[in-house]
Amino acid sequence: MSSRSPSENFRRILGRVVRQDFVGRAGELDRIMAQAEPGNAGRGLLLLMEPSAGVSELLRQAYDEIFNDRTDVIPIYFAITRNETTAVSAAIEFLNTFVQQYIAFRRDEPVVSHAPLTLHDLLELAPPADFEWIEQLVESYNRLRFSNDDKALVRFCLGAPQRIPAGRGRPFVMLDGSQLAEYLNGAVVLGTEILRVFGRGGFSFVLAGLRRQILEAAHDAKCNFELLDTLRLERLDATEAARLVEHVARRQQVGTSEAARDLLVQQFAGSPFFIGIFLQAAREKHTPLLSYLDCERLYVDELFGGHIHRHFADLLEEISPRLDTRHLLIRLLWEAAAGEEQTSSFEVWRKRLHMTGNELEDVLHRLHVQEFVNWDETTVEAGAGPQAWKDYLKIRYRLDVLNEPRALVVADMLADSLKRAPHTMARHYKQIANAGLRDLISRFNCQRVPAVLFDYNTFSNKYKGAESETIVSGLSAETDFFKLPQTVHLASCSAFINDMRQICEEDHCLIAHTFEEGTYSDAQQVIWLAADIESKMEVDVEIARVWLERLENTAGRLGFSRYQIWLISNEGFSAEAATLLVRRKALSSSRQQLGLLASRLGETPLTPVVPSAAPDEFLMVVPMGEDNELIAANTAEQIAKRLTFRPEAINQIKTAIVEACINASEHSFSPDRKIYQRFRVESDRLVITISSRGVVPANLNGTNSGSETKQAAEERRGWGLKLIRTLMDEVEFERVDDGTSLRMTKYLRPQQSTKGANE
Amino acid sequence: MDTPSGKLVRSHCVGTTAVVYASDYLNKLTGEKIEHECRRQLNCGCRALVIDFSDTKLVNSIGVSILLGIIDIAEKCGARIAFSEVNNETVQLFEMLGLTRHVVLAKDEREALINLSHYETTTPVVH
Repeated sequence: MSSRSPSENFRRILGRVVRQDFVGRAGELDRIMAQAEPGNAGRGLLLLMEPSAGVSELLRQAYDEIFNDRTDVIPIYFAITRNETTAVSAAIEFLNTFVQQYIAFRRDEPVVSHAPLTLHDLLELAPPADFEWIEQLVESYNRLRFSNDDKALVRFCLGAPQRIPAGRGRPFVMLDGSQLAEYLNGAVVLGTEILRVFGRGGFSFVLAGLRRQILEAAHDAKCNFELLDTLRLERLDATEAARLVEHVARRQQVGTSEAARDLLVQQFAGSPFFIGIFLQAAREKHTPLLSYLDCERLYVDELFGGHIHRHFADLLEEISPRLDTRHLLIRLLWEAAAGEEQTSSFEVWRKRLHMTGNELEDVLHRLHVQEFVNWDETTVEAGAGPQAWKDYLKIRYRLDVLNEPRALVVADMLADSLKRAPHTMARHYKQIANAGLRDLISRFNCQRVPAVLFDYNTFSNKYKGAESETIVSGLSAETDFFKLPQTVHLASCSAFINDMRQICEEDHCLIAHTFEEGTYSDAQQVIWLAADIESKMEVDVEIARVWLERLENTAGRLGFSRYQIWLISNEGFSAEAATLLVRRKALSSSRQQLGLLASRLGETPLTPVVPSAAPDEFLMVVPMGEDNELIAANTAEQIAKRLTFRPEAINQIKTAIVEACINASEHSFSPDRKIYQRFRVESDRLVITISSRGVVPANLNGTNSGSETKQAAEERRGWGLKLIRTLMDEVEFERVDDGTSLRMTKYLRPQQSTKGANE
Repeated sequence: MDTPSGKLVRSHCVGTTAVVYASDYLNKLTGEKIEHECRRQLNCGCRALVIDFSDTKLVNSIGVSILLGIIDIAEKCGARIAFSEVNNETVQLFEMLGLTRHVVLAKDEREALINLSHYETTTPVVH
């Protein structure tokens, strides 16, 4: 929502949601409002949209805000829809909308903005001061309408805002759906005409269009780029998208759970468009979205015949109107996307689609604009587009090309979606966990930090086991400093070398282009290759060597002459590994060092706590870490005492709880860093459930065999589950969509229950 | 002579034996403190270690894992190690995780020192 707070008298006019429910585009709304200010008079703003980013509601909200502000700025909002078939009809509709919204504003009557009125009706509604020029406008329009000069008519209609007489206000035109303008029938290319007329009209405007299309159209129209600003409109980040799901679900009266909400955000990659139509479908079908199964069932329904299906079917029909060619296109797109080699030549595509060069250029241009392929005139790379598009293509391929039974395709898609859901979330959680590293490196800007933060061995010798205050004061007294370079570009290693995708998650390995001292010269340029190695224990020398060589090879392949390797691991490195890294001039840090470095660079860690309770059972939520497992264990002790468990059994329960909490903290990449605990007291038993959100550990149901001391240190950390199974009478993992839930039961032994629950 | 090292780990030396006191909850942080102190004592020339658990009420598996690491370190240095005053629940835990096969358990600090001194007089330390 915008930082401007609407007053009580704020009237909703074109906006489909109230301002409080408009989430996720606060910055963009402010930017549009700024465009309407006098300082930007005569300037245009191009909104460069990622496909499915959603823009209509943003422009409608801007309209309402400007209308309610009652300044001299007159808002005009016009959306080109798929119903318009020609440039002329779209331009006439624009003229009608312009006059209508102008009169609505001048009369301060919002209802006029969307009433079904003809130009004749509007003339009658025109305020006396405006009657004359509007009458002239309508007369001129009527003359041109029958002149057979389509281009002149289109230009006249689009240029209507500049006919507002001086002193009657400044028009601010917002045009939505400009991507459709390119493909209207007739001799006039509406998109080009819009840019040409608006660009020279002397009024302020906002033009929203697909990012790969609109800039090209502005060049074609020979716009004066000195009078054009741009604003990129991308998908929402996870937090904003989650808020959007909550707001839309509440508005649509669709029940959701946190797990389902987060899945939708990730599955639709924060696209307001997909989130909106999906929740609309949920409302229409009265389907609550509480579990992954609820979500995926509806998703599959949507792919096969709902809003999502219609969206992609419409796009495909626009891209390739002929049915036979469309089938060939689906086949080619899917086979290219699913195959190992996703890139092929223009000529291969032309032959496979049996098209002329011009026909194929048109198809590829449309696919490229929608970001379904990447086309650079000679080669075509398939496999792009949102997940929903890939799923849609797959089912169309199986149904239309392979003629597989529909029931089979539906069942497979549902099963695949369900299997994919936990992986989607796991990838997200791991990204969050590693976002810190990306953020940290991006903030390198020639700061001086204690050198020990990049040398695990020295850090470990000096500070291992020390209190945090001791470490902080120790670091303050350090005299050996390391000057960070300035980061100018940062990207995942897999963006440079595709093979890295198979080795590690995207954000686990990063390449940063930096300059020492912030001096931009060859001599000062250093490429940092940073890898975050997943390990619960200190990384041993073998793993360290593998990573070192992997990154050295990467530097060699990419031709980096000066580079700096930095390895990070949760628990640091063994002495041998650390020695190797020092010898090879690589930097090394543990997660603790990373945290200390982050706080030096100004990051604040968050540890939220939300306690809760219920009448007949005990519920508790504690943040992970800080020995909070002891709080849980001590609570369990008090509860167990009521059931007259013997001290020995109480200690077993406490140890099991501690282990369960440690497991939750260590394994889960938890998004909220909370442990949820439920203690249920029954007459002969205590049932404890420890849950956390996040990644399901791979060894969840594994029973670790008795570990000998000579077994790898990594295995020792697997003792937790073994201990829990030994200490408690029943241990079971409950099935949950997101994360883990461990239920542990301890029974009162007969001799203990003599005092029993009656006491 | 007590030698405080770090904020919470207490230790003192009896001849060439160092006695290190574990805190009430043995977890990763407190385990690492003990490990640090044991390393320090060994580097200072101690030939035997007693880890006293008289204050220890709860031990978690990471704490046990670190204790095993300390046993490994002591073995590499040719030093002997004993645990003293371990409560019954913790003994059970150590047994479950196989720790008791690698360490002498003594009733209290005095018994641990006696055991280790007997060992020192009968077994030469090999580096």
